[in-house]
Amino acid sequence: MLSKFKTNAVVEISNRVNNMDCFRRFFFRVVMIAVIFTGYFAGATQAEENETYSNSQDFQLHGFISQGLIDVNGSDFVNDDGDVSAELTEIGLNASYQLSDKFRIAGQVVYLDGGNRYSQGARIDYALIDWSAFTSENWQANVYFGRFKNNHWLYSSSRDIPFARPSIILPQSVYFDGFRDIAVGSDGIATKVSYSTDDYGNFDWQLSYGKSPISDEQTKNILSEFAQGSAEQNHDAQTSLYWQPTFSPWRFGISLLNAEFTYDQGDTGSGDMFYDSDFTFQYYTMNALYEGENWEFSGEIYQQRFIIDGFYYPGFQRDSIGQGFYLQSRYKLTQKVTLLARYEDFYSDKDDKDGKKLEQATGGAVPYYFGFHKDVTLGLNYDITSNFSARMEYHWVNGAGKLTPVVVPNTQINDTEDWQMWAIQLMYWF
Amino acid sequence: MSSRVVAIEIVTHPQVTESSLTKSQLRRIYTMRQLRWSDHSAISVFVLPSQHELHQRFAKERLQMFPYQLNRIWHKLTYSGLGVAPTIVASEKELIQAVIKTPGAIGYIDDETLIKQNEKTKRIETPDRETGQQVSSKGVVNVVKIQN
Repeated sequence: MLSKFKTNAVVEISNRVNNMDCFRRFFFRVVMIAVIFTGYFAGATQAEENETYSNSQDFQLHGFISQGLIDVNGSDFVNDDGDVSAELTEIGLNASYQLSDKFRIAGQVVYLDGGNRYSQGARIDYALIDWSAFTSENWQANVYFGRFKNNHWLYSSSRDIPFARPSIILPQSVYFDGFRDIAVGSDGIATKVSYSTDDYGNFDWQLSYGKSPISDEQTKNILSEFAQGSAEQNHDAQTSLYWQPTFSPWRFGISLLNAEFTYDQGDTGSGDMFYDSDFTFQYYTMNALYEGENWEFSGEIYQQRFIIDGFYYPGFQRDSIGQGFYLQSRYKLTQKVTLLARYEDFYSDKDDKDGKKLEQATGGAVPYYFGFHKDVTLGLNYDITSNFSARMEYHWVNGAGKLTPVVVPNTQINDTEDWQMWAIQLMYWF
Repeated sequence: MSSRVVAIEIVTHPQVTESSLTKSQLRRIYTMRQLRWSDHSAISVFVLPSQHELHQRFAKERLQMFPYQLNRIWHKLTYSGLGVAPTIVASEKELIQAVIKTPGAIGYIDDETLIKQNEKTKRIETPDRETGQQVSSKGVVNVVKIQN
């Protein structure tokens, strides 16, 4: 398994210098766009024939395909050279089968390519057994075994589903792409209890416990490109509660997370400059959502605590508290056109909001702007049909606090405090 | 039938015993918070595509929700593995066929289409019935009353 990831990394490097491979990638994108359009027209033709009712009630098959262009100037968020990139591909296919009254199995495979944002390739997004433990007119209790998705934050379960999230690039201080594969879900057990009443509204309580595998590529993404050892997640425990008052356009939520990681330094021959270490990550969020006919408002406010024990040298200790929020507004201009505006503000140490202490403590090696991340986003979504959409957006970012690697940042490419990006994306789903 | 040509009726498979639902029950069913009828049989929910005019009106008038809110709930269930969303069918004709064929099914229909459907059935299956309402409650689909 490890050697496979290493091979992938080698392939990744050779890709960047090999023109043949560049052409092949370009060709692949063209095919992707063709497939999206074919899917769209096939869907339209099928609708005319009145034969779309093919999913039986016990077996359901769904999927999505999307392709976009993204251009980042001033950071290595997507690529190192700053060129316009087609590394914005998301494909997914899922199935659900009702085994019996109480049991259902479900799984989804996704293929993602986001350049430097996360590792490129196919992965099992979720694969679970859903036990409907209790159901009545007002109550539902489900237990999920296997690989389940993080369902605790506003967009954590839909972050890879292009048409189900609010923008192409989500607020990075919550939905940090460098941490995607770890935060997106876990292997373990999860429960969901829902209660609906005419008097008090809807309550959803969720609890999950599990762990995520961490590849060597991710270890390098999160810690440092020079880390030669391997990282492991010991556990990830999360809970969340959502409440929507009866027939209200508002919904409120809170969530708590505690995760522990260990790092085992590389063999003596590997030249690893880092040491065995323990990391603790805690995360608390509160969110609110308003869904009106034309206006929609949402926001999350959060605090994180990150404890490092070891890593730089045995006995090293750092305990920092980061804070942030984002506020988002969407406006339905017409039935098909939705506008988006969002402001996000995050700093990784609440006692060092401008990053000056970070720069001092590292003797100038890590510039101050790695201590925060602010993003102003404007976007537009056009729903061409019920399952075919186009989206475009522009981000003005201030700070490099949410670029990978996190622990030992790349200050050579990310040499400016302000950077921008635009992206467009076409998406089809069924 | 109703004198309002544009009314939306809620219809179920003939074996569904519920003859009326409250507005909040209907909303629970369409937001996938109530998955079973009172006799514990599974509910199969059918809808038209989100941009279909009848779906837009159904969401606003019958559920007092906006179509995008329903999409959000259903997408979350379908693409995160949490549950199962309603089955989307392409046309009203197909929707009524699905409700007729699927035990435990619920759907919605424009009352004009319902009358046409019943007239057609009246000719074929029950030529001596007087009104569409009677036919529908006897065999083809149930029309469910929605109480406030």
